[in-house]
Amino acid sequence: MRSRAAAAVLAREGFEEVYSMEGGIHAWKGLRATGAPDAGMAYFEPARKPEELIALAWMLEEGSRKFYKEMGTKEKIPGAVDLFQELSGDEEKHKSSLFKIYQRISRKASDPGFPRSLVSLETGDDYLEGGMGLKEVLEWSRGKELKDILEFSISLEANAIDLYIKMERRIEGTEAKEVFLALSNQERNHLKRLSAALENS
Amino acid sequence: MGILDFFKPVSTWPPDRVRQFLDEKSPQEYNLVDVRTPKEYEQEHLPGARLIPVAELETRWKELDRNKPTITY
Repeated sequence: MRSRAAAAVLAREGFEEVYSMEGGIHAWKGLRATGAPDAGMAYFEPARKPEELIALAWMLEEGSRKFYKEMGTKEKIPGAVDLFQELSGDEEKHKSSLFKIYQRISRKASDPGFPRSLVSLETGDDYLEGGMGLKEVLEWSRGKELKDILEFSISLEANAIDLYIKMERRIEGTEAKEVFLALSNQERNHLKRLSAALENS
Repeated sequence: MGILDFFKPVSTWPPDRVRQFLDEKSPQEYNLVDVRTPKEYEQEHLPGARLIPVAELETRWKELDRNKPTITY
């Protein structure tokens, strides 16, 4: 899962041929690991309107926020409750930054269609990076160890950084660019904190 | 259109394919990148793999030659 996120980063930076090894080092040794749910998908950059990209980012922030919030209530992983609660709070702030940029670009003070109509989604499910359903991921997380949850979270953040870097390159206007740069830096900080927690777990 | 239209599959190789590739090529012809943590790398890693944890990849990908086939794990 981390490997796929890494492969997506390298592909974005112009690496011509990148392959993520299926199953990671466990598979290499012939052992089977209990893997994280994995859509095996990375953000893709076809011609999209900025409004659509912002709506996508907002939805993914909302999915991550709910995921972290849920992880922050787990009694099973007391070592990381504070971390997950903070991450959840940060993603809420990211949503407001994104909505402000949307208001500016769309010239709408409010929009009942935001974000779901812009990404053609009916009401209902929440999504995480790679188009994974939140329900499926929460189901998976039951009974998992902190290490598994942290690895999964690292993949989420690596993909989020990837998305924001692409958006920053795509979008017009200094102010919007600054917002995406700031978001990618904040997600990078999340990535570092999660990695440190994994290293110490 | 739905949310999945915003994503595309990442290319993957099964371990057998990776093993075959590494056997056929010399180490100068590819990048083999371990993106896990230093602790995990210390415990075990594939021979010749270079450690670049995913958290550092954004700044350190320049250490790799992007014209070479690249395998991550």
